[in-house]
Amino acid sequence: MTTAPAPSSAHHSPIFDELRAIQQRHRYLPADELRALADRLDVPLYYLQGVASFYPHFYLQPPARAEVRVCDDMSCHLNGGAALLRALEGRAAALGPEQMAVRPVSCLGRCDLAPAIVVNDAIYEGATVVDADRLIGNALDGTPTPLLVAPARVRVGIDPYENTGDRYAIVRRLAASGDRDGIIAALKASALRGLGGAGFPTGMKWETVRNAPGTQKYVVCNADESEPGTIKDRYIMRHAPHLVIEGMILAGLVSGATHGIFYIRHEYLEQERIIEEEIHACYAAGLLGEHVAGSSFKFDLEVFVSPGGYICGEESALLEAIEGKRAEPRNKPPFPALQGLWQKPTVINNVETFAFATAILARGADWYKAQGVNGSAGSKFIGVSGHVKTPGVFEIPMGITYRQLINERAGGPIDGHAIKAFAPSGPAGGYLPASSLDLPIDWTAMQKAGSTVGSGAVVVCDDRACMLDMALNAVRFFRNESCGKCVPCRIGSAKLTDLLSAWSRGEHGPSDATLIDELTHALRLTSICGLGQVVPAPIQSVLTHFRAEVDAHLLARRCPAGVCVPGTLA
Amino acid sequence: MAELIKLTIDGREVEVPRGTTIFDAARLNGIPIPTLCHQQNQTPVGVCRVCVVDVGARVYAASCIRECDAGMTVKTDVPGVQKARAALVEMLMADHPAPCIRQQNSGDCELETLAAELSVPAPRYPRRLSPRGRDDSSLSIAVDHESCILCDRCIRGCDDVKKNLVLGRTGKGVTAGVAFDLNDPMGASTCVSCGECMVSCPTGALTNKRVVGTELGGGDALQAEELLDLPVFDGVSGTFLELNQGAVVKRHFKAGDIICKEGEFGSTAFYIMDGSVDVFISAPIKHVQQESTSSGWLSTIRSMLSDRDQHPRSEETTKRWIPIDAPVDLPYDNPRARLGPGDLFGEMTCMSFHPRSATVRAATDCTALEMLRNVLDILQKNKTFRAKLDDTYRKRALENHLKSVPVLAGLSGEFIDYLRNRVELIRYAPGQVIVRQGDPADSFYLVRLGFVKVSEAHPGGDLVLAYVPRGGYFGEIGLLGGGVRVATCSALDHVEAVRISGEDFRKMIEAFPDIRAELARVAEERLAQNRARQKTTDSVELNDFLAQGLMEAQSLLVLDLEKCTRCDQCVKACADAHDGVTRLVREGLRFDKYLVATSCRQCRDPLCMVGCPVGSIRRRNSLEVIIEDWCIGCGLCASNCPYGNISMHSFAVETADPEPSNRKVASTRKKATGCDLCTDQAEPSCVYACPHDAAHRVEPLTFFGAKFGLTPPRSVVDATVREERPGVDQTSK
Repeated sequence: MTTAPAPSSAHHSPIFDELRAIQQRHRYLPADELRALADRLDVPLYYLQGVASFYPHFYLQPPARAEVRVCDDMSCHLNGGAALLRALEGRAAALGPEQMAVRPVSCLGRCDLAPAIVVNDAIYEGATVVDADRLIGNALDGTPTPLLVAPARVRVGIDPYENTGDRYAIVRRLAASGDRDGIIAALKASALRGLGGAGFPTGMKWETVRNAPGTQKYVVCNADESEPGTIKDRYIMRHAPHLVIEGMILAGLVSGATHGIFYIRHEYLEQERIIEEEIHACYAAGLLGEHVAGSSFKFDLEVFVSPGGYICGEESALLEAIEGKRAEPRNKPPFPALQGLWQKPTVINNVETFAFATAILARGADWYKAQGVNGSAGSKFIGVSGHVKTPGVFEIPMGITYRQLINERAGGPIDGHAIKAFAPSGPAGGYLPASSLDLPIDWTAMQKAGSTVGSGAVVVCDDRACMLDMALNAVRFFRNESCGKCVPCRIGSAKLTDLLSAWSRGEHGPSDATLIDELTHALRLTSICGLGQVVPAPIQSVLTHFRAEVDAHLLARRCPAGVCVPGTLA
Repeated sequence: MAELIKLTIDGREVEVPRGTTIFDAARLNGIPIPTLCHQQNQTPVGVCRVCVVDVGARVYAASCIRECDAGMTVKTDVPGVQKARAALVEMLMADHPAPCIRQQNSGDCELETLAAELSVPAPRYPRRLSPRGRDDSSLSIAVDHESCILCDRCIRGCDDVKKNLVLGRTGKGVTAGVAFDLNDPMGASTCVSCGECMVSCPTGALTNKRVVGTELGGGDALQAEELLDLPVFDGVSGTFLELNQGAVVKRHFKAGDIICKEGEFGSTAFYIMDGSVDVFISAPIKHVQQESTSSGWLSTIRSMLSDRDQHPRSEETTKRWIPIDAPVDLPYDNPRARLGPGDLFGEMTCMSFHPRSATVRAATDCTALEMLRNVLDILQKNKTFRAKLDDTYRKRALENHLKSVPVLAGLSGEFIDYLRNRVELIRYAPGQVIVRQGDPADSFYLVRLGFVKVSEAHPGGDLVLAYVPRGGYFGEIGLLGGGVRVATCSALDHVEAVRISGEDFRKMIEAFPDIRAELARVAEERLAQNRARQKTTDSVELNDFLAQGLMEAQSLLVLDLEKCTRCDQCVKACADAHDGVTRLVREGLRFDKYLVATSCRQCRDPLCMVGCPVGSIRRRNSLEVIIEDWCIGCGLCASNCPYGNISMHSFAVETADPEPSNRKVASTRKKATGCDLCTDQAEPSCVYACPHDAAHRVEPLTFFGAKFGLTPPRSVVDATVREERPGVDQTSK
C-alpha cells in the first residue's frame, strides 16, 4: 500500500462501510448487530431495515455456504445463462438450502465474457456447468479459487499522452493559468455530450455548477455501469484511468468543487483497485489535495463503492446512495447541477465523458470533431456482445454503421448463423431488425430511427433468438431493478412482465393490446426516472419490427425460434 | 411576502407566490387534482403519480411536488393525463383486495373511491401472485399489506409528523413494502400506537382494530377531547381516541361498591382518578386435604379445607406475599391492600384475558376509568403514562415487590432506596425473547406482570422448565455462575419485567451475604433438578413417547384397551372416592393398545401453570404440580389442562360477605384439585374397581421401556459428563 495522504474527510455516509463490516464478520446482518449499530450511529431501526433490504448485496438471513448467482440478462441469456441457471438449480436442490442457494442476478458487466456467475461474491466469466461445479465445490470445502489473470493495460486511441510522465498536463496547465473559461469554451466548442446515455452537453453542465451559488460543490463520477451490454466504462477504467481522474480534477477546478467522489459498482473489484491506485499516485504527485499542482486550487477525491443495483446508475439515485439512503431517484427538478450531493451543486458525469473531456482539452475541439466519419462528429467506446465472434469494447469513429462495427470490429456473426436483430443500447433502446444495421452510429440519425446510441451497448441476436423472449428478458431486467418508489414503474414493470410471460406461453387476453398501450403511456410519461420511462421500449420495438414473431406465439401458439415453448416455459 | 408569479392552469391565468406547487396553485383556484400519496400536512414525495399534469415537457410532472414556474402552461385534465391517471389507478386496483377493510367498514377507501370517480374498469391485469401478508400483532391497529399502495403517508406520519421513527420502506421494487423497525411485527416493534399511520392511510392497509365488545356499557362515555385533557392521555392521538370511543368510560363508585370480583373473567383495566379502593382476596387461604373414611371395602375420600398450621404440608412455599394484578402484592396473613389515585389495576385481565386475581371494593366514593385493551395498550405505550407508572412503581411498589421475593426479603431499606432509581421497567410483547441461552448474562429480572417462559434448548425441541409468574425472578444463575445464560426466557403474554443490572446485582450479593447464600442454594437446587431431569430425558430416544408428554410422568393410569369393556367402573369409583366428583376421564392418548387416561403427567410444557392470576399453582421441587393455599378458585388451570386432570371442588365455607355489612355468611367456594392417586389407600380406587384387570397404575419408563425396548438409563460416566454442563437458569418462588 502506498502511504499517500488520504482525503481530508469522507463525504459519504458511513452506513455501507458499517453494514459491510458486519456482513464480513457474520456473512449476513444479524438483527442484534443492526440494533447495536442503530444505537451506535443514533439512527432509527427502520432506516437500517430500509437500506439493508434495498441492496441485494446485503443478506438479512444467514446465507448458504455456496451462494451462487447466475446472470441471465441479454448477452448472458443469448449465451446459455438460462440453461446454466436451471442446471445449477438442480444442484442446489440436491445439496439442500444450507449448502447451496442459486438465484438469477442482474447484469454483472461481463457481457463480452458471457455467461457470468458469482460464487460467494467472486465473479467468474464464461462459466460452464463444469466450471460452476468446480467453483461450488471449492466454496463448499473452502478451497480458494484463483481469479482470472487480467489482460495487460493498453493505450486507448483517444489518450493524448504518449508517455506516462506527460499525463495530467491539462490539470497542470489549468492550475498554472486559472483559465476556467477557456476550458468551458473548449468543451462547448467540441459539443461533447454526456456519454452515459442521456447526452446532456458537458460544457453546459460544468458551467451551470460553476455559476451555482455556494462554496461547497461536488464532482461525482458515475462508474456504476450496470445496464446489460454496457461494458465500455469497465474497459476505460482499466486502460485509461488517468483520463477519467484528470477529467474529474478538471471538473472540480472549473466548477469550484473541492471534493470528488468516484462512484463505482461493487462488482468492478479490479477497476476499483486500479482507480484507488491512480488516486494514490495523484496524491503522491501533488495533483490532488490542498494545492493541486502547486496552485491554490484544492481538490480531494475518494472512491465510493456502490452497495449495488442498476438504479444506482440513475444520477439522483446514485447521490441518494452516497448519502446512505435507499437509492430511489429524486423528483426533478431540481437537477443535481443545482442541488446534488447533500443538496449542493454537483457535476455528475459518466466515466467515458470525463475521459473524453480530458482528451478534448488536450487535443482540441477540432481534433474531436474530426474523429467522426460520414458527417458525424467525435468518437466513442462501444461494447459489442451477444451473438458475435469476438465480443468486446471497441473505440470507433462516430458515423460508421452498426454493420461495420459488428463485422469489422466484433468478428461478425457466428458461423452458420445470420443476424436477426440488434439492440443498440442494451434494453433501453429496444431492438432493431438486421435491416437497420446500416444505420450510422450517430445521435441524430438514431433518434430519427426511434432508438438511441445510448450507452453504446450493442447486443447482437442471431436467428437462434426469439424476439418476444428477448423483449421479456429486457422487461424482466427492468422489473427486477425497479426501485419501487413510484407506482408506474413498480407495478407497471411487473404487470408488463406478467403479460409478456403469458404471451411467451402462448396465452393472451382480449384487452392485452390496450393494456400494453396504456402501460406504455403511463410508464413513459409518469415515471419519476429514466428507468421507468424506458420499460416499454423493448416490447414496443419488438411489436414494431417483429410483429409476425409475436403473433406466431399468440395466434399459432408456436415459437418460431424454438426458444419459448408455449404452455410449458415460464 | 414572496414574489408572485403568473402561470396558466387549464387555460386560466393564475397568480401564486413563488415556491407554490402546481397542486396547491390549482387547488387555490378551484381546480382539484386527484392524488393518493399527497396530504396537506405532509411533505410531498410524488410517488403515486396520480396527480401528474402536462407542463409541456417531455414527461408529465407530479403536481404535488413540482413548483410553479413563471409563464408555465399547465394542463391538468387533458386526455393524455386522464389516460395516464386511469392506467395508474387500474394498476393499483389490480392488486387491491377490493372492497378492502376500510371500504367495507366506512366506504371511504381513497383508492376505490378514485377508481369509481375515474370510471376505471374492473382491473384487466393479471393479479399479483405472491401474497404480501397481514400483521395482526398490534392490539390497536390491523395491518393488511395487500391493501398497501406504498404512498408513504404512514411513513411520513410516523417519522415526520409524530417523530416516532418506527415506520419505513423495506425491500425493493415490486417486493417493496412498509416495515416497522427491522421488519418486526407491529405489536413487537417500538410502535407506541399513536395512530398517526392509521389516520394517514388512504386504504384499508392500516385500520383501527375494534376489540370484540368494543363498547363498554354504562358509565360516562368520554369524548376524545375530555380524555385528552387528562394528563395520562397526554400525547395520545386524538383521532385514535375518537375511533375508540366507548372503549373507555368513567365510572363512579360509592364507598362499599364492589368494582370487580376475584375469579371472574374480564377484559378491562381500571385507572383510579380519585378516591381509594380496597383490594383483597375473599377466598379462604386454606388448602385441600383428603381424609379417608375407612368403613366398608370401598373407602371414600373426603376433601376438606384445612389451615396451614393445622395441617402442614411438605414443601409448602415460604412465600409471604400473594402476587395480584395491581401495583401491590397482598400479605399472605392478611390479604388486603389499598390503592389510590393514579393506580392502575386489572392489567393482566385486560391484556391477556386472565381471571381477576382479587376482589376490589371502593373504600371511599371514587371515580375510575374502565378501559378495554386497545385503550390500555395505547396508554401503556404512551411515554407520559409510562413515566407516571414507572414513577408510581418505583415509589410505592418496588419495595414490596423486592421483599415479596423470599430470597430478597432481607434487603435493607437503604439498598432498596439505592435500587429505586436504578432499576429499569421493561415491557415485552408476547413471544419476545428476554434472555437467550448462551448469551452473556448481564442482568437479573423480576417479573412484574405476565408470565415468562423458561425453556432449555434440547435436541428434538425446547423443554419448558417453568412459567415464571408475577413475583418470580430469573437470570440469577447466569450471574452467579459462568456468566452465560443457561436457558432462554421469553414473554408468554404481555410481560413487564424489572431489570436489575449485573453490576447492581453484584453489589447486592456482596452487601448481603445471606441473600447470596440463599440464591446460591436455590440455584444449586435448580441445577440439581435439571441434571436429574437431564439424565431421565437423555435415557430414552426422543420419540413419540417423549413427544406425547408421557416421559416425565411419575405414574400413569393406563387402560388396556383389549381388556377394557368401557364399563366406566373406574370413573364411578373415582367419583365415589372424591365427594361424587370424578377426577378421572376415560379418555386420553392412545399408545399401542393402551389408553393413557387422565392423570398429571408433569408435562414438558405444563399448560396448567399458565395464567394463574395469583400464582398459586406451581411445580414442586419434585416436579409434581402443587396448588397453593391461596387458590381463588377461578378454574383457569382446570380449563387449561389439556388432559382434564384438574377439577374444581366446591366447599361450603363461611366468608366475609363482601357487601358493606361485613357479616359472615355461608357460601360455596371452589378450589382446584388434581388427581391425588388416592394416596391414602393401598391402591387407587379406579384400579381397585376395575373388574377386568384393564386399569393399571404404572411407572412409565419401566412399563413402556420394557414394552418397546427403550434404551435403559445411561451409564454413570455419561451422567458425570453431563453434570459438567451448566444447569438451567430457573426461577424460585
